[in-house]
Order: sequence, then structure tokens, then C-alpha cells
Amino acid sequence: MSLIELQDVSKIYRLGSQEIPALTGVSLTFEAGEFAVLAGPSGSGKTTALNLIGCLDHPTSGHVIVNGLDLGTASKKALADFRLQNIGFIFQSYNLIPVLTAAENAEFTLMLQKVPKPERRAKVRKLFVDLGIDGLENRRPADLSGGQQQRVAIARAMAADPHVILADEPTANLDSHTAEELLELMRRLNREQATTFIFSSHDDRVIAQARRVIHLQDGCLADDLTISK
Amino acid sequence: MLFTLAFRNLWRNRRRTLLTLSAMVASAALLILALGVFSGMFRDMLASATEQYYGHLVLAKTEYHERRDMFAHLDEEVASRYITAEDTEIIGISPRLRSFGLISLAETSQPVELLGVIPEREKQVTSLQTKLIAGNYPSEAVNNGALIGQGLARKLKVSTGDEMVFVTQAADGSIGNDLLIITGIFATGDSRHDNNLVLAPLGWAQKIMVLPGRIHEVAMTLADPMLAALTADRLNPRLPDDVEILDWGDLLPEMREVIAAYDVSRMIIVSILYMATGLGILNTFFMSVMERTREFGILMAQGMRPWTIRGLVLLETCLLGGIALAIGLTCGAVMTLYMQQVGIDLAGYITPVTYAGGTILPRLHAVFEAGNFYVPAGMLLLVSLIAGFLPANRAARLDPVQAVREV
Amino acid sequence: MDLVRLSWKNIWRNRRRTIITLTAIAFSIMLVQALHNLSFGVYAGMVDSGVRAGSGHIAVYRNNYLESRDETLYFKDGSLVDDISQINGVEQVLPRLYIPALAQSSRESRGVMLIGVDPDRERQVNPFLKTLPADGMIRSTDSRDAVVGTRLLHELQIRPGQKFVVTAQNEDGTLHSELLRVRGVVNSGMKDIDSSLILVGLGRATQLTGNSGSVHELAVILADAGLEATVHRQIAAQFAQGQDILAVSWEEAMPNLANAIKLDYASQKFIFMIILLIVAIGVINTLLMSVMERMREFGVILAMGSRPMTLRCMIMLEAVILGLLAAAIGTVLGSLATWYLVAVGIDLADLVPETLEFGGVVFDPVMRASWDPAWMLRIAVYVVCLTLLAAAYPAIKAGRTTPVEGMRHH
Repeated sequence: MSLIELQDVSKIYRLGSQEIPALTGVSLTFEAGEFAVLAGPSGSGKTTALNLIGCLDHPTSGHVIVNGLDLGTASKKALADFRLQNIGFIFQSYNLIPVLTAAENAEFTLMLQKVPKPERRAKVRKLFVDLGIDGLENRRPADLSGGQQQRVAIARAMAADPHVILADEPTANLDSHTAEELLELMRRLNREQATTFIFSSHDDRVIAQARRVIHLQDGCLADDLTISK
Repeated sequence: MLFTLAFRNLWRNRRRTLLTLSAMVASAALLILALGVFSGMFRDMLASATEQYYGHLVLAKTEYHERRDMFAHLDEEVASRYITAEDTEIIGISPRLRSFGLISLAETSQPVELLGVIPEREKQVTSLQTKLIAGNYPSEAVNNGALIGQGLARKLKVSTGDEMVFVTQAADGSIGNDLLIITGIFATGDSRHDNNLVLAPLGWAQKIMVLPGRIHEVAMTLADPMLAALTADRLNPRLPDDVEILDWGDLLPEMREVIAAYDVSRMIIVSILYMATGLGILNTFFMSVMERTREFGILMAQGMRPWTIRGLVLLETCLLGGIALAIGLTCGAVMTLYMQQVGIDLAGYITPVTYAGGTILPRLHAVFEAGNFYVPAGMLLLVSLIAGFLPANRAARLDPVQAVREV
Repeated sequence: MDLVRLSWKNIWRNRRRTIITLTAIAFSIMLVQALHNLSFGVYAGMVDSGVRAGSGHIAVYRNNYLESRDETLYFKDGSLVDDISQINGVEQVLPRLYIPALAQSSRESRGVMLIGVDPDRERQVNPFLKTLPADGMIRSTDSRDAVVGTRLLHELQIRPGQKFVVTAQNEDGTLHSELLRVRGVVNSGMKDIDSSLILVGLGRATQLTGNSGSVHELAVILADAGLEATVHRQIAAQFAQGQDILAVSWEEAMPNLANAIKLDYASQKFIFMIILLIVAIGVINTLLMSVMERMREFGVILAMGSRPMTLRCMIMLEAVILGLLAAAIGTVLGSLATWYLVAVGIDLADLVPETLEFGGVVFDPVMRASWDPAWMLRIAVYVVCLTLLAAAYPAIKAGRTTPVEGMRHH
């Protein structure tokens, strides 16, 4: 049984009276431990596909099945619970909560899971060390550089030990050196913890690092290449 | 051009503007209603005091009011000598003769105040004819017909048609007594009138007091009671030194004080209310200015002067104030109209309240008074201006370079 | 607990906005509390003066004397005056006899209401007698001394020390007269009182009517108005069976005063409601603004797996904390204002030159507040509930976001 499966999924956005088809008839399957990227130019539907995989949205038609469960029937609450336990997100613009410190941001999912404070703190501290940002726990996002903020975002995504981490254009706002470091970091996590990574990106460096490249074009599946690495 | 820009800027964030507008409209409209109802209460009080007994103006010998001395009487034609048809604000003139004595009936007697009046003329000044609960107002036809109050009727255990004797000291030193027939009974809700007042024909009173052709006072009624003091000032110079006209403010100083105190508290309430409103507006405008920092920066970079930016924001607040004013005034006027025509009956909850010489009836209603509209209106505009001042300053003081860099 | 910390931090995101909102709410609370306490103090003062000049906190009558004022409804007070005086909390018991009579001087006559009183007791209590000089009061219950209102004195055209006659009807119908001498003059400033007040000794009054040892009214003055209910019960217990007398509270005996206060109070409540409404709308506006500008963040929080309910709770918490803070500050300010108004008060003498009447009672020209902590607390609680209510719409709005839509904001 595959981890995540998209079965003939379509998504149409409605803006006023206009209908915009973002995805049309896409079918994909992901296994545990994958390191995959959804590639394609802007407007190809990468972000939409990622949102569907991450249970952030319902498809207009088709099914999204995770661990054998069809998400189409699930309530908002059930989806939220599912995301909390299983999925971590890294967004293009970090989306850290400005009033919280770096550590507080990172432990947010643990807080939602009602993990007691000392445990949370310990976990996050360890993560920060691994990610090379220890010492920055009590700084607010406004006082961190882009790269540091992105690492905090990664820490947040990972803190709850999710099975899947979804990253939407994670390197878009980073300089090349930081981007390299980030990708290296994610590959390491994928190797050591068997966390599934699914990206969306149009950055060639990212695509180069992936073991599986899924090309999307105009909302349709164009190519699905698995590269052994 | 600036005007159009200001107006459109208001509607950029519809929900926020509408919410702020609703607060301003609510405060203006409700305040107008409240003031209208209070004015109604005071008008009622004034009306009950003047229209039941005093009248708006009273002409009498100068020393009469102090002691109501029987001997300070006047010629019954005195009014026509000094008040002409050109004094159009006066709509009722009633000469009166006053006597204090006892009403006697079988085993009971009660002290009363008897007013000898010409019924048709008295009806133009006081309104006891509208408060009848039995029988009729006295008329010229029955030369000894009297009108008494409900309290008195109860105490004497009489009703219409019964006879009673009035005993008093006459002007020639004798004790006058004569028969009166009760033609009607009134009830005003004010125990001082209901228990003590008797109206009888002037001729009858003049006879019993041995004061033929004499009266003590002339009570007058005006189209607009609030002009009483002015009218008195206008007429007094015409009168000889020993005669003067007093207005209701002189006759009922407590009433005047109450109305003065009310005006003060009205201003206080208006100020408080608008301070609360003002603080709410302040937030809205700060928000809307902060949101547009970048935009203002660009405008200034393009050459718009800071002063103009300040003017723009102030214009926006004043426009909002103006719109709120228009809607608020309309709503306030509509609600006041309803209260004026229909009102609210609180009779089950409270009884009439006697206060400063007048009575407030438990039926709430409103009156239209200019002050109740232009005071809230003026204050609203003022508050809008003040609330806009700080954000406008903020906008004008922005540094274009910094501002443009903001996201 | 963590949600509380997050909410607290969120409130202070935009310091100026929060401070302005807090100021608005706290300020309104302060005003409403201070004005209420001021009225509370003034009403209490009015009731106090009113009952002392009128029917007392509790009045004892026979049958329906209160409504009918039927002079034949007198009763023998016997030992009642002393018995009631013994009750804990009673300051004074004033026996009174009301006789409608004709007062005549050599020049004039007027209808009056003669009041027979116990001069010593009355002197201690009645505010109209406060300004009488030491020798201005009736000397004994039987003396021919009378205390007369100043306007009445003028109308009868007599001066202090001069004689006049009062004539009243006996129970058997005959007219009876007594000679009186003006001992003291009352100048209360109220037309009604000054033109109709005559006080004489109770003994002299009963000579006029022929009912010795009888009264129409026992006015009971309490040292502490709060004890009214208990004392009322104890008084009622004093009455022998079948005696046909009853005790009434001042609200029944002086409905004019009670209603004047009710009316003023009601209009005040109306104004307060308007003020709180305006504040509530302001709070909704502020909360809504702060929600709308965080839509993106809410999207992220939802994406991470938070339930919509958690988000709604967070907004409600922000409102509650805001409300509690404002209520605390407002109550402190309100207390300060009240403290000032209790200690110093507002002197109306500058605004209104002569005595001011209200509901038949003379105002003390200095308006003083009186503490009503229960009411102050109630208002604070109402305001907190109001902020909670105001948060309902913004909370719903926040909870309805989906992660995708939320993150698309900006």
C-alpha cells in the first residue's frame, strides 16, 4: 500500500465568475522515504498539487488517498488532526509567527499536540543544534536572516516527526550558498530518518538533487522520472 | 480631485468603514433620541405647571405675588389697556380674582383656593377643561357653577350637581358666604390642584368678596412658552410702576433651575458619548493611514506636499463624519418623530412625578428642538476632525524613502 | 496555558491600537462607575432629607390613611412611640397629627395643613427646622407656639411674635378655634413648603380636634437605611391584633420621591447603554482589523494541523484578556474618581444659585458620591462579557478560513 495516492485528481478555482483549472486528471503515487520534486514553470499547478497532497485542500474531482484513507470524506477537523500528526510544511516565505520567538515557532506543532513544555524545549533545542541555529532560540523572526528563518521553518516542520515533509519553493528566497546547505540538510534527514520529502520547485539545483522528478505542465502530468541516486 | 480621492479611499475597506460608520451613526441617532425625550419630559413639566394653573405670563400689582394680598386688586379692564391685538404671541388672556376660604358641606369643611374666572377666557389659558372626569366646565349660563378637583370632591364626598357653601373674608371686612353648585370635577394628577383648587365665575366671586369690577391678576398664554421672558421684557415698559408682568421663570424659579441643570448635564453627556466614539474612530483612521504608508510615500515622492497629505486624511475623516451625520440625523429625526407621535406609556411602572412645580406624566414622548439636533451634529463633526488630526499628522510626517520601502 | 501566552503576545502586536482600545473601554467604565456612584450618593442624600421632612423611612398609619388622608383615621399611639424607639437601628420616632384648617390673621385668611408634632423629637430630625435659632422652636407640646413658613407668614401679613387663629372641624362636626403665636419661621426655599407649613405642639393640635393622645402618623427615622427591612418586620410585630394599623415603607408613603429617583435612574441607564454600545462597536472593529491582518498567519496555523476551534478560542481569549485588562484599569480609575467625589464632591453652588428641588426635596448643593461596589463589579463583568460577545463575529471569521485561502492573503 502506497503512502499517498492521487487518483485522477482535478482542481478548478473559481474567481468571481471565472473558472481557472489548476490541475486536470493528475494521478500520482508516493511511497515512504521518497525524495521527490514537482517541477514545472509557474502556473503549472505545482503548488496546487502540493496543497492537495498535504490535505490542505479538497480536489474538485478525483480522490486523494493517504494510508488507505480517502480524504474526500474527512471533515475539516479530521484533516487538521491528520496534518498535525503526519505532515510538516515548509513554505516559500517561511510564514513564521512574528510575535513568537524562534523556539516557540518551532515547537508550535508540539504545543498543538499538547506535549509538555520541558519535552518540547528539549526536542527543539536538539533540532536547532542539528540545523546549525542553536543560540537563536529566543530571537524573534524579525531579528533573523532569511536563511536562519528558513531553518527555523524546517525545525518547525520536523519537530513533530512527521512522515511527510512538503516544501513549496523552499530555496526561492535564498542565496546559492544557503540553498546548497539547505538541500544537503534535507537529503541527510531523508537518509537518516526516512522522512518522505516532496518539493515543488522550478529551481534546477533542487531538481538536480531529487531522486524523482515529476514534471507538470498546464495542470497536467507531463513526465515522471525516477532517478536512482 | 482631492475630494474624489478622499471619498474613494473611504470605501477601500468597506467592512471597516461600515463598522465605524455604524458606531458614529448609532451614537448620533441615539443621542438625538435621548435628548428629544428629555426635552419632552421638561416640556410636559412646564406645560403641566403653566397650563394647569399659572399660565405663561401673569400681570398683577407688583406686591401681589409676595403675599397674594386680597387688597392688591386691579381694574378688570387693565389688560385691554396695555395689551393690543398687535401682541400676536399672546393667544389667551384671562382675568382672575383669587380668594382663600373654606368650602363647607353638611359635616365637612375644607380650606380651598377659589379662582373667579370668565370661563371662556380661562379656557384659553389653562387646560383644566381637558382634565374633566365628570360633568362640565363652568359656563356663563350658570352664574354659580363651580369646577372642583377630584381630591376635594372625595374629601367632601360630593359629585356633580351637589351644592356647597364657600366662606371667606370679604373686602369690606364682613364674612362672605354663598352657595356654589358643582358643575364639573377635574383630575390633573397633581394633588395641590386636585385637593385645593376651585374655579368659579368671576362675577360670583366679585360679589362674594365685595370687589365689583376688580381682579387680582391677568393670566396669559403664549404660542411659544419659551418666549415668555422676552415677551415680558417687551411689555413691562408699557405698564405703570405698580403693575408688572412676570413670566413662568419668575413664578416657578425651581423650574428654571431644573432646566438650567438639564442643559449642563446635556452637554456633559454629549461630551462623554463623543469621546468614546472618537476613540473608536481614532483606531480606524490610524489603521487606514498605516496601511497606505507605501502609497503616501509614492505620492510624496511624486511631489505631493505633506500638507496636502494631511489635508487628504482630514478630508476623509470629515467626509466620514459628514456621512454619519446625514444618516444619524435622519435616523434620530425618525425615532424622535415616532416618540413624538406615539411615545411610550410607562403608566404601569411609575406614577406621575411632581417636580419643581410641574408634573411629569408617565407617558414618555419627545419634542423637536433645534438644540437637540445641532449640538450632537456639531460635536460629531468636531470629534471627526479631532480624531483625524493625529493620523493625518502621522501621514504628513512620513519620510518618502522609508515609506516606499515598506511592504 | 500556551494559548493564553500566545493571545497575550498577539494583543500587543500593535501597541497603539491596543492602547487606544483599552483607553476607550477603561475610560467608559470609569465614567459609568463614577457617575453611578455620584447619583447613588445624591439619591441617598435626597432620600435621607426627604424621609426626615416627610414620612420617615417607615411610616405607621391606620387603615388607608395614606391614600385617603381621611382625618378620622387617627389612632392612639400609646406606648408605640417608646416601643418602636427601642428597636435596634431606630434613630427617632416622630408622632404627627395632620389637621386641615383655616389660618386667620387680623388681615387675611388662608387654608393650611396644620401639623401637630412633638417639638423636641422633631427638632432633632426635620431638616426644615435646621435653620431655626435656638429659641425659634415650639417650647412644649401644649404651648401656643407655632412655626410658620415664610411665605405663609407674608400672606397672612403677620410677623414673628404676633398672634393668629386657626379653625378646624372636630370629629362631631363642630368648628373649633385656637389662638397661636408665631414663634419661629421656616425658609426652605421651596414655594410649596414655605406657603403652607404650620407646626404646632401635638397637645395643642389635639385640643383643636378633641382627640387627645391620637396621631395620624408615626414617622420612623432609621440610623442606618440598610436596616429598613428588618426594622419594618419588628415594627409590624408590635401591633396588637385587630388594631387596624400598619407600617409602610417610604417608597409607598412618598411615591413622588421614589418615582423621581426611578425616572432619573432609568434615563441614566439608557445613556450608559448607549455608551457601552458605542464602545462595543469600537471593540468589534478593532478585533476584526486584527483578525483580517493575520489571515495569512491563520492559514499557516491551520496548515500545521490546528483545529479551527483552537483558532476561534485564541481570538476569544484575546478579547477576554483585553476586556479583563480594560475592566481592571477602568475600575481602578472609577474607584479613584469615586474616591474624589466622595471626599470632595461637586459643588453645584457655582452652577445653580438658589436651592434646587427634586421630587419635592431640597438638594444638598454639594453632590457627593457613595460607594456601590456591587454595581461597579457588575459593570466590569458586563463589559468583559461584552468584549467576549464582540469577539464572536471576528472569531467566526477566523475559524472559517481554510489554510489555502488564508495563505493567499496579502
